[in-house]
Amino acid sequence: MAPTSLSHRQTHNLLLISKLLGHRDTASPLTLLIDSLEQPATPLIKEYIRRAKISKVHVTLIAFETLKPIDGVDSFIFARRKNPSEIAKEVGAAQQKTSTSPSTRRLILIDSINPLLRAQRANAHFHLPTFLSSFLLPSSPSAPKGDTSLVVNFHQDVPNPPIRSPYQPSPLSTLSFLATTVITLHSFSHILAQKAARDRSLAAPVFGLAEEQDGVLLGRLDKPIGNEFAQGIVLEMEHRRRSGRGVLEWYLLPPASSYPPNQLKEIVTLLDDHPLYRPPEDPGAQEGEEEPQSTFELGLTDRQRKEREGVVLPYFDAQQGNGPGEGGRILYDMGEEDDFDEEEDEI
Amino acid sequence: MPAQPPLPPLLAPYVSALPPSSLTLLSSVLGATGNWLILRYLYSALGAPTGDAAFGLLGGESGRKRKVVLVSFLRGWEFWRSEAKRLGLDLARLTDKRQFAFVDGLSELFYTPATLPPSSQTTPTTSGPAPSRTVLPVRSQPGPVPARGGPQPAPAPARPTPNNPYQRVQQQSRGPGPVKQLHLTGTGVQALDALENDISSVIKQLKTPVTPGEEEPEILLIVDQPDLLLAATGPAKGIGATEMGEWIMGLQQNVHATVLALSADSPLIHNAAESAHQPSTPLEMESAAFAIGSAHRAQMVLQLRNLETGAARDVSGVLRVSKGGAWGQVDAGAEDKWEEREVLYFVQRDGGVCVFGRGE
Amino acid sequence: MSFRKRNIGLSAGADRAPAPNTTTAQPEQASAPPESNPGIRPSPDDGRPTTSTGSLSLDNLLAGHGGLPIGKMLLIEENGTTDFAGALLRYYAAEGVVQDQKIHVIGMPEQWGRSLPGLLGPADAGDEKKSDRRKGDRMKIAWRYERLGEFGAGVAGSRGWSSPTRRNRRVRGTQTLTGVAPAATSGDQTMTDGVQPAFCHSFDLTKRLTHPSIANINYIPLVPSNEPLFTSILKRLQQVISQSPPNTAHRIIIPSLLNPTLYPPETSQPDILLPFLHSLKALLSAPTTRITAMVTIPLSLFSRSSGLVRWIEIISDGVIELCPFPHSADALGASGAATSHEEPPQGMLKTHRLPVLHERGGGSDQNIGQDWAFTLSRRKFEIKPFSLPPAEGDKEAQDGATSGGMPKKADLEF
Repeated sequence: MAPTSLSHRQTHNLLLISKLLGHRDTASPLTLLIDSLEQPATPLIKEYIRRAKISKVHVTLIAFETLKPIDGVDSFIFARRKNPSEIAKEVGAAQQKTSTSPSTRRLILIDSINPLLRAQRANAHFHLPTFLSSFLLPSSPSAPKGDTSLVVNFHQDVPNPPIRSPYQPSPLSTLSFLATTVITLHSFSHILAQKAARDRSLAAPVFGLAEEQDGVLLGRLDKPIGNEFAQGIVLEMEHRRRSGRGVLEWYLLPPASSYPPNQLKEIVTLLDDHPLYRPPEDPGAQEGEEEPQSTFELGLTDRQRKEREGVVLPYFDAQQGNGPGEGGRILYDMGEEDDFDEEEDEI
Repeated sequence: MPAQPPLPPLLAPYVSALPPSSLTLLSSVLGATGNWLILRYLYSALGAPTGDAAFGLLGGESGRKRKVVLVSFLRGWEFWRSEAKRLGLDLARLTDKRQFAFVDGLSELFYTPATLPPSSQTTPTTSGPAPSRTVLPVRSQPGPVPARGGPQPAPAPARPTPNNPYQRVQQQSRGPGPVKQLHLTGTGVQALDALENDISSVIKQLKTPVTPGEEEPEILLIVDQPDLLLAATGPAKGIGATEMGEWIMGLQQNVHATVLALSADSPLIHNAAESAHQPSTPLEMESAAFAIGSAHRAQMVLQLRNLETGAARDVSGVLRVSKGGAWGQVDAGAEDKWEEREVLYFVQRDGGVCVFGRGE
Repeated sequence: MSFRKRNIGLSAGADRAPAPNTTTAQPEQASAPPESNPGIRPSPDDGRPTTSTGSLSLDNLLAGHGGLPIGKMLLIEENGTTDFAGALLRYYAAEGVVQDQKIHVIGMPEQWGRSLPGLLGPADAGDEKKSDRRKGDRMKIAWRYERLGEFGAGVAGSRGWSSPTRRNRRVRGTQTLTGVAPAATSGDQTMTDGVQPAFCHSFDLTKRLTHPSIANINYIPLVPSNEPLFTSILKRLQQVISQSPPNTAHRIIIPSLLNPTLYPPETSQPDILLPFLHSLKALLSAPTTRITAMVTIPLSLFSRSSGLVRWIEIISDGVIELCPFPHSADALGASGAATSHEEPPQGMLKTHRLPVLHERGGGSDQNIGQDWAFTLSRRKFEIKPFSLPPAEGDKEAQDGATSGGMPKKADLEF
């Protein structure tokens, strides 16, 4: 990739992830996080909350899995045993209570949508799109039109609920169709291991549940990596713009311990920019293409290469069609460094 | 193999420091059961010598008393009592001292012998054993207590000693008193609610201070194989993985920390995966969803499994400790200072356990 | 029976903690009248009461207890359409009949009871002969199985009481021994002639058992009634058990669980089957009863890789899988015999879980991790280590090696 386009992509996509994580300009009303046991979304959710706190966004956490409020959450809705409509009502009430100015920006987090999708109580009339849009649309026409974004977490390793109707799309398909941004989380060390295997044309290793080993739920072990730089989360982001164009990018979110909680500067980087994922070209090139040592200079300088390209090769001349026996000459313009030898270089 | 203390040093950091309102998942397979590890939790909370504050459930608040409620769905009181004895824990005495309570999810969970009077569920406050008890056919003859049971400990001084020692035995092992028996009646959430109430009332009893002004104790709740409940009911009875997860959450609200022991055998986890070759049964789906969902909710996941290379004479299995999905959710300082690791363990015939790294 | 006393000593001895809270005031239970319990003896491993499965080599397989511990349920799974598991069940039932234990058979007609194998005598006697023979043959057994030769006459043999725990690695071995001594003496006291009652008998499958107590077998048929099938089974079990004298030992036999020719289709629903098995387990582990159970299940219908069967296994205390060889494999079988005059194995046997051992955490049993083969002959169901035979034609070299300088076992211990 040409350096200019890379740097363009860098600035552009970093700006985009900043907007998405910081909820500026309602970049994404509905964000779907797809996590797994190998890389849970907890650190990313905490990052969402951290950024919301910095920019004074009101945070609501709808907790299907979380027992105690996470630090920084403004209203904590404990969704255990509650119907979807009750949850929506509670969220609305919590917002009404806190909305002092009409322009308050809001962030609603759902720590895991899976329990709701599987719940027996939701079987009859539960409609996922309606449930989600009830948070985004104002509860009543008179209510102030807030600027709300919704972040929904989905555990992809929890089995899908039994299909209610064989003709309906699966919940994950529905969610990713509705979402404006889909972020799939990967563990950085796993991405590195898979890349290393790919580079050697080996089958990529699998971890945790995918190993299908008896008794293994989680494959992660942070000890054997032993490399503190390999910490962090890889975010595979797919964003649909209003224009319809999609953006696909891989980012790296460093661990929370590596920066102060009030850091304003963007900490997410492109995965391609990480030295462990894509080592710098130069040292790699030098080590990779080691040439045989000799007393002669076997390489070409740029000028030499250009001049070599300028040479008209004999078969071009032969195609001129000046008759048999004609053509095929070596056409060569002497350069100043050529040492013409009358006896040898007879034309 | 050298002898190790009841709580092997390699194991101690994972068993002793449980952060508040945390969930610890303990997964086992058919050939590598987790009962020994549950006993280590019991020992860590109840058995450590008082002088050793480092083993406290919470290092910082070591002043608070630690109590344990054990809910077991696959093993009875006799098993836990005799196994804990091998570690030097006298559960019956601890029950009398109100440091421990056992909730029996085995004996009468699904089927109650019709001969039992329903009133046997209430906790007796007096010593007077119901006279009708002696005519119950099952326990009619005091007879010999099987050796399995062994002797019952001396009655607590607080209670008047029943004149008939066998009555005492029956009270301890089957009847009311410290052992609460769970019954599953009805279907769906109501059935679970009833169980939750039963367990919560035991927790509450343990929480109420013996002497006024006493600080509220920290309760560790250990739920052994509640996945049986899910497997034996299932969506047909209105109980699914979500309901079970919420049931656990409801119990969690009452206690300091929770340890959940589940089966993670391959058929119960991997058959439900999308890559499975055959359509999975509801049992497999719900088991997988419950186990994986619990792992997402857990701070720490301890996974037991067999040795990949086949059975060995001096290795019982492999223990892998990993950070669960909820790890790092709450900024807990010192409690989160543990490393993920994988060790081998060996359960000796005398009940002791050796924990060691590979190649050690 | 005085094994109770022994258990006191054991459990106190097993207190590993320095804690002073070991029970100081053990109420003396010695007042319990000494009683004879035919067919029940304390385990050499930890003193818990055990009873024989009616098959000596299966007894020996059960994690050093020399029998099936009271209160435990053994699940025998069988692949294919053979009925080796049924033979094991018949041995188990016949042993119970001979020992005057109460037998409960679920789902089988009375003909089943009439086809129990005939009694030959105590298993130990036959075993004695065999071990004599074995001594002569020992050099022909591959050296690495030499120590396993003891297996056939292991803890369940006649020496079970007096020479306990060959493999007991406890430091307090002496304590264990002293613990056994009173048990043995009191056992002798109860015997008028000083001869130990046989713990395990051998039976002849071609004969029919005749015993007065064979008529006492409790058959629980699977008949539809107005209450759920399994509930009525449990009720009847409960009723008979509670009405029998308190010291009676019971054996519950469930042949071919879930077999569609016996069981209605809805019984394979987990919400019907698993509560039944769970309640059965509860019944077994009630402290005032002495029950063992043996269940067989056809694996060709219910695969081990299904969640339902895994749950049945988790509820069971012991799980043994039989994988019979196909009939066409006679050639392989013939050469698969460890020695030329042993019968060829008829299948492989896998132990997935053993009673007591695995609920404590597993490991430390010498039988774990072995490949087992089984042979059902007229007289016994024999389980022995399985090995692929040496290549054909290598016999001479093998013979030369055995007669010559085979290295001593100790030299090659790994």
